Amino acid sequence: MHIPDGLISPQTYLPALAVAVPLWWWAARAFTRQVGDEALPRLAVFTALAFVLSSLMLPLPGGTSGHAIGVGLLALVFGPWVAFLAYTLVLVLQALVMGAGGITALPVNALAMGFIGAWTAYLLFHLLRHVQADFAVLAAVFISILFSALLVALVLGLQPLIAQGPDGSPRFFPFGWSVTLPAILLPHLFIGLAEAALTLLIWRHARRRCWIPATSGREI
Amino acid sequence: MPLSHPVRFALYLTAVIAVTLIHDPRVLLLVLAGLLLLSGSGRPALLLRAGRPVLWILLLLSSGILFMGWLTGQPVLGALLLINLRVVVLALLTAWMVRDVDLDLALARWPRARRWLVIVRGQVQLFRRLAQDYRCAQKSRTVVAPTLHQRYLGSAAIGLAALDKGVHNAEMVTQAMRSRGALHD
Repeated sequence: MHIPDGLISPQTYLPALAVAVPLWWWAARAFTRQVGDEALPRLAVFTALAFVLSSLMLPLPGGTSGHAIGVGLLALVFGPWVAFLAYTLVLVLQALVMGAGGITALPVNALAMGFIGAWTAYLLFHLLRHVQADFAVLAAVFISILFSALLVALVLGLQPLIAQGPDGSPRFFPFGWSVTLPAILLPHLFIGLAEAALTLLIWRHARRRCWIPATSGREI
Repeated sequence: MPLSHPVRFALYLTAVIAVTLIHDPRVLLLVLAGLLLLSGSGRPALLLRAGRPVLWILLLLSSGILFMGWLTGQPVLGALLLINLRVVVLALLTAWMVRDVDLDLALARWPRARRWLVIVRGQVQLFRRLAQDYRCAQKSRTVVAPTLHQRYLGSAAIGLAALDKGVHNAEMVTQAMRSRGALHD
């Protein structure tokens, strides 16, 4: 669900940057506290996995693309702050290596997918894990993807309202919420289901390998 | 005098923001021409690299804009040109930056970010190579194409094996870096 460069107005990406910078700073502090040198290789591998998962993109009519994200997995294994930072790196790499997303769209993409996605997955998992752990993973990842997609659709649909020329013509993304909400949310219902199943598979594997620390709040 | 990589990176960031503040298609067309002129040799490859990731999105957006214009009867040519040119200019700027800026050097002041970037880039290449190996191996072993179910099972197995291999390799890299004093920053 990357938003490419050029479709988001400065009225949107500058405030998003103002919100994202302190969150990145706080996430970097959490990263230094939580991730020792011994966990860095594992984090790098999971970050690379998120990169590969979110590289398989399908363009959607809403001006964005459909793909798995991988941030839910990062949040379940490393916690939401580290996941947010790691996913920001994924977005930077995708913008620079593949031309997907972009630098001006980075704060919006990072907040929608990295921050909201990671925190939703993390909180829902911890809320539901007492019911059943596998169900908690599936529900947490599925709903986190829908939340991220909803935020991307809302931001894109806002553009024609806040960035118009003197004649009313759109200067950035041209379609409103009546187009962006169904165009982005409906495909992500299916993408969310597939990613939830994939995350469960990898999460179980990570638990078998003891990559999820038993003493932290991130275990079941 | 050639510009240093951190300066080039800073210029790129400034240019990207500046382009989003231009709302005249004629100015954007001039900027595009200027970029193509300044980017030196290898322009067609650069343009191709810039255009490929945004092509489908621009096609979908442009058809949507034309369809809306046809429905409402309002002129849409200005908006169509503006949005397409802006996206292409930004993609071209990014492709040029990727070609001519060494991110390892640009991030020299932030060793932890640089180290993470290096490890992640290495892992991405490893995953791609493993997936390619798997596809080639499966193709060479079977006469008929595998069913969807077989493909899912095979992909899950290779994915988890790749994860194990990736973690193992990354741990080796970290140990090698630690033994050379690279983690004492």
